[in-house]
Amino acid sequence: MMRRISPNHDRLQSLSGTWRDINGMPSLMSIPGDEQTAAHLGIADLSFLTRFGVKGAGAAAWLESRDLEVPDRPNTWRSLPDGGIIARLGLTEFLIEDSLHSSFALRLAEACQHVPDRVYPVLRQDAAIVLCGTAIPDLLQQTCSVHFQSFSLNDHPVILTLIVGVSVTIIPIAPDRYRIWCDGTFGAYLWETLATIVQELGGGVVGADRLI
Amino acid sequence: MNQRRLPPISGEWIDRSRPIQFTFEGTRFTGYAGDTIASALWASGQQILGRSFKYHRPRGILSLANHDVNSLMQSGQRLNVRADVTPLDDGMTLSAINTFGGVMGDRASAIELFSPFLPVGFYYKAFNSKRLFPMWERLIRNLTGLGQVDFSTPHIRTAKRYDFCDLLVVGAGVSGLSAALSVADLGADVVIVDENAKAGGSGHYQLGNEPFRVEKTNELLNAIENHPKIRLYTQTQASGYYADGWIPLLDHDRLTKMRAKAVIAANGAYEQPAVFRNNDLPGVILSSAVQRLIYRYAVKPMNRAVVLVANADGYRTVLDLISNGVTIAAVVDLRDSLNSDVARSLDQQNIPIFLGYCVYEARANPGRDGISAAVICPIDANGNPQTGFKQTIACDGIVMSVGWAPAANLLYQAGTKMRFDKGLQQFVPDQLPSGVFACGRVNGVFEFEQKLIDGRRSGLEAAAYLGLGERIQVTISPERESPSHPWAIVEHPKGKNFVDFDEDLQYKDFPNAVQEGFDNIELLKRYTTVGMGASQGKHSNMNALRILARITGKTPGEVGTTTSRPFFHPVPLSHLAGRGFTPERRTPLHSRHAALNAKFMLAGIWKRPEYYAQLGKTRDECIALEAQAVRHQVGIIDVGTLGKFEIRGADAAEFLERVYAGRYRNMKVGTTRYALMLDETGVTIDDGIIARLGAEQFYFTTTTSGATPIYRELSRLNTMWQLDCGIVNLTGARSAINLAGRYARDVLSKLTDLDLSSVAFPYLAVREARIQGISVVLMRVGFVGEWGYEIHVAAEYASALWDLLLKAGLEYDIRPFGVEAQRLLRLEKGHLIIGQDTDGLTTPLEAGLKWAVKMDKPFFIGQRSLQVLAKRPIKQTLIGFMLDPNFQGTPPQECHLMIARDQIVGRVTSVAFSPSLSRHIGLAYMRPELAEIGDPISIRLSDGTIVSAIITSTPFYDPDQLRQREDVTQREEVTV
Repeated sequence: MMRRISPNHDRLQSLSGTWRDINGMPSLMSIPGDEQTAAHLGIADLSFLTRFGVKGAGAAAWLESRDLEVPDRPNTWRSLPDGGIIARLGLTEFLIEDSLHSSFALRLAEACQHVPDRVYPVLRQDAAIVLCGTAIPDLLQQTCSVHFQSFSLNDHPVILTLIVGVSVTIIPIAPDRYRIWCDGTFGAYLWETLATIVQELGGGVVGADRLI
Repeated sequence: MNQRRLPPISGEWIDRSRPIQFTFEGTRFTGYAGDTIASALWASGQQILGRSFKYHRPRGILSLANHDVNSLMQSGQRLNVRADVTPLDDGMTLSAINTFGGVMGDRASAIELFSPFLPVGFYYKAFNSKRLFPMWERLIRNLTGLGQVDFSTPHIRTAKRYDFCDLLVVGAGVSGLSAALSVADLGADVVIVDENAKAGGSGHYQLGNEPFRVEKTNELLNAIENHPKIRLYTQTQASGYYADGWIPLLDHDRLTKMRAKAVIAANGAYEQPAVFRNNDLPGVILSSAVQRLIYRYAVKPMNRAVVLVANADGYRTVLDLISNGVTIAAVVDLRDSLNSDVARSLDQQNIPIFLGYCVYEARANPGRDGISAAVICPIDANGNPQTGFKQTIACDGIVMSVGWAPAANLLYQAGTKMRFDKGLQQFVPDQLPSGVFACGRVNGVFEFEQKLIDGRRSGLEAAAYLGLGERIQVTISPERESPSHPWAIVEHPKGKNFVDFDEDLQYKDFPNAVQEGFDNIELLKRYTTVGMGASQGKHSNMNALRILARITGKTPGEVGTTTSRPFFHPVPLSHLAGRGFTPERRTPLHSRHAALNAKFMLAGIWKRPEYYAQLGKTRDECIALEAQAVRHQVGIIDVGTLGKFEIRGADAAEFLERVYAGRYRNMKVGTTRYALMLDETGVTIDDGIIARLGAEQFYFTTTTSGATPIYRELSRLNTMWQLDCGIVNLTGARSAINLAGRYARDVLSKLTDLDLSSVAFPYLAVREARIQGISVVLMRVGFVGEWGYEIHVAAEYASALWDLLLKAGLEYDIRPFGVEAQRLLRLEKGHLIIGQDTDGLTTPLEAGLKWAVKMDKPFFIGQRSLQVLAKRPIKQTLIGFMLDPNFQGTPPQECHLMIARDQIVGRVTSVAFSPSLSRHIGLAYMRPELAEIGDPISIRLSDGTIVSAIITSTPFYDPDQLRQREDVTQREEVTV
């Protein structure tokens, strides 16, 4: 039974495309013609991926004790073994997001029923977005004051900043693929604003299929 | 119609294969693509392009450099189009602004007859009389204003953009280009901006028959064009300088926020007009404008010219005029000797040169759309005209080349200290701030070769600043002659020798202003309004400064300049406003509310249902029905906007004890308690519920508006106190639904196995449970005065939970209720809302919240202040009041005042009609000595009407809390 609803669901449900239940959430997987769109500038919803957050002085050690290799520097990220991401948000906070093939977040959520001192689980209910395409810089130039080109992707940067006035976490996975997370209650505004500018720039909404 | 168009000129900007039709003031004209409006009109012989602001005198081209504010035009819905720089567009329908009856026969030009009655400081003098103020206001409003606003103009949401570079070079003249190349060659990411349509600056038009200037400029441009590290933005203006290299760049489409690590100002200089009688007539033109007309637009500026010069640029202009078929009637040099080679070469061509002469006045032609002659005369050593030796020289144009003022606005804004160089007769940078550099004319370097070297010098300095290469000493040769004359100003008994063309200020206005005491440059500016027009003093400030210096016996350096503030050039409001980013928050249930016809309101930045509209019912009826549903059946409301936090750790209770006024250490697991937060001064700033979920785990709520600032403050305190606990903000991650009413328990019991009896789950208890498999936190609360549950759930499950509750409640006529019904219900219950029933000065002692404050605790924020305040009598206390049940008429509103013996003794904070009590009820602050239960009070409405009410105890509704009881009641007392 599908129970989870994405913060971006209302913006997507009117689009005709292929939907699938992923992790109990109805998810837009493809839209006719979105291959070309994705190459130029696309925006897709990945909120269906499972996520876990933890913070506190003991968080890094606790994650390592759960066989997770944590990023050793603040504001960087690493890939999880079966895909997915572990991002270090500042000194002592972490975001773990599974791929379709991993389940770290769920396992950690279960494990955190009994956590050691100074480990504080963080419920993550993000609106999770991916931008794709070669025109991402044009979109970001209109919406964010960060100079993304100054980052080396080899350093695996995690950027905590504002986009269209909304606090976001951004990971440039590749020059043509940026992941964005924000508080789900800002999701509708962020999505609508970005999607409008994406459309002005000749892009559009794409399904998640070709991006995961 | 192109009677003044010259044969094709190498490098001209116009495309003769693309003629463009347009109209100006109803007359059809033809120009070419690449023309500006002004160049096309001038080419067609149309010399009157606009009217002056005050006297409505005819005006034509002056600078052709984006400063000709007397030729602002209206193009359809577009206001104040700058004709001197705006590219011509097919089908343009143009008209001059600020005219009465058209630009050629402007009736308002009669104002000039009254000019003796319009002295300097006219506005101040006119408005000095209160009695006459309305008359002057009406008159001036009717006469002034630039353009006609069409209110149907579409709202253009101009996008803004961020951009970044290592070095921003402002100005694409030869010095700027040279600077950019020298830095880019060392690997820096360089951006060049120039307000002109094409780069190259004066290298393409200040030629003086020296083609190498064009060749060298083109060499630079080719190198720039092919350079991978250089971006060149033309038709883009760097319009201000803010801290840390933040430069707003304006182009036709947008405002770009450029962040540059270093900036080179190669802005150049503004050519300055000479001041003589009728120096504003169409046909009196700056020499650089003449050269631009010729070399950019292939337009012959005039047929027979008198050229007033005081520098080498003027003589180069003479050569350019001659080579393009203009007869030079005379060269009038303010100086008494030929200083430059180019001047001496002219002397050999039998061009009449008058040394030590001035233009005394220009004479208008019979049609007053141009000039017929220049009257010249010698000047003495002090620059005074020797009018006994006047000569009249027939001409149809007077060219002025007497000096420059540095375009140093960005440098000033960046914090540059400037000094006045007497030799150059110009302000030049003395101390540049870190990361800011200058070259070219703005730096006092005018000669072509020297500008190239100066550009390279500044580039290498900037590169060294950026860590690219070593700082190299480059020597710049001093100017061979001064580019500016110290006194190109000629008095005339009949005046009309204009200093400021924007505001029609004449020479005599300045001595008069000084005589009236305005002898400081900042005062003079404000009194005369010099430099306050649309060109912002680019052509007038320097002359005004020189006049003030001469009158007060100071040097221009001692007089100083006025403050330059961003933006230094007018910016379209559409660009400033741009696309707005105003984030709003929506709860996960937003679409559910919309489907139920919710009327949304903003609560802070949240969108919340104010009420749910019903067909055929008014807003008030809908709200009343929602409230009644809660009282008689069951209601459901989205309270997900509340701040929601979790705190864990051994010191979690200690932390809460410190930040809240109550006691929480002794709470049992599974209980909740009201929590009141104060600031250091003892003022009530927030409230909420604290629930103990474990020995070292609490879950607590704040008000909707308090969530963000309180999380910030709690994080700060946690860092400062270093207690063993961590706070997690769950405001967005958790949704919350309040199920309230007689049948709330019945509805919930259909969905959960949890024992909901009041024994197992009493009032003010908290339980973690599952509702149809969804994990929730349940709190038994009574904010609206009914049996109720606040259900907290992960945001992604909120919609599913809402649907389940609505479905389960169908048989009980469950109804969603909005913010307004909730406000009404809590008012009936006498519960206050922080921020509505308190303000920025309200203490718990005044708000009736003393019971929630535990003064015997060792410490909490605000405690010390409360201890002090407790020793003083309170000034106000929160009371309840009721109106008579039979009251008819306009009820009081929030903020209406309580009156006793004609004195203000209090104010209303909440008021509403209670359907349950069938009368108006409210909360108000009153002087304590007047707050006796049962006493009558008077409330004054906005229209002065007095309404009577009775002071009443609260709660108004269910004072004995019977709604929270059943057969067996176990009430969790909040002890304080």
